[in-house]
Amino acid sequence: MSRRGITPMQSEHVNVTPLIDVVMCLIIFFLLVGHIAKKAEVKGVRIPSTKHGKDLAGKSGQLIINLVPRPPLVVGQQRSPKVIIWGERISYDLLPGKLRQYVNEYKHSHTVVKLVIRADKSIQYKYIAPVLIDCASVGISSIHFMTRRPG
Amino acid sequence: MSSYQPKGRRRMRAAAHVGPNMTPMVDVVMVILIFFMLGSSFASPDWYLTNNTPAIKGGLSKNVKVQKMPATRILIKLTQIGSHTRASIAAFQTEDLSGQLLKWLKAKKKAAGKNVQVLISPANDVPYQQVITTYSDCVQAQYTHVAFSYTH
Repeated sequence: MSRRGITPMQSEHVNVTPLIDVVMCLIIFFLLVGHIAKKAEVKGVRIPSTKHGKDLAGKSGQLIINLVPRPPLVVGQQRSPKVIIWGERISYDLLPGKLRQYVNEYKHSHTVVKLVIRADKSIQYKYIAPVLIDCASVGISSIHFMTRRPG
Repeated sequence: MSSYQPKGRRRMRAAAHVGPNMTPMVDVVMVILIFFMLGSSFASPDWYLTNNTPAIKGGLSKNVKVQKMPATRILIKLTQIGSHTRASIAAFQTEDLSGQLLKWLKAKKKAAGKNVQVLISPANDVPYQQVITTYSDCVQAQYTHVAFSYTH
């Protein structure tokens, strides 16, 4: 009687193999998404906060220009920030050409190119303005300034 | 026959226990999954301020239009005084960019109507945060034509 009772209990175990398959796929997905997001957005940038803003509809077609501050060599004098696009460091002189190249590449793969400026809040305007001028010279019709909600 | 039956049962029971215990692994994997799901939802608190640039002929844009400059123009000069940023519009001056300046812009918008061009002219040493705050004020006050100027 007791033996009969034990055998059915063992066969009633839930088969967790498909669950683990699905969960593992989800984990790999999140890892990859996190990795791609990290590559587009460089660390060390303190985004400025604003009370007003809107969400961009989808991340597709985003070309992010990161402006990362560098520690000053002389106290009180700000150095020109690093310009990084997709992990590639670009000098200010080569920015128009590189932008043109990136925008051309993006136009082949995306219907809309959303140019995002992701700059540190402490960077002086003299380093931001040339980027805006370069964007206009390349022919980008709208620029999105990345900000964050206050608090 | 009666001596064979218990042997078979023993074999079946042994076969049922073969294989690793999946329960701890499922626990850990679920915790990792929840961590990534929450992490991804907290990781994108960014939002955006959009600005229309004057596209230059010869660039990559196909939608180059010649736009008429609105008749009414507001020039917001931003200057840096120590750690403070001062906004000046003609005789009006304030260092409270997200308070007084926003109020002034809203009041002016009511009086001037739709067709107004705002030009933000920051000095070279004005931090990006203050430029963006001023631009955010303009957007919040519902100005549609906002541009930035730059002097070397």
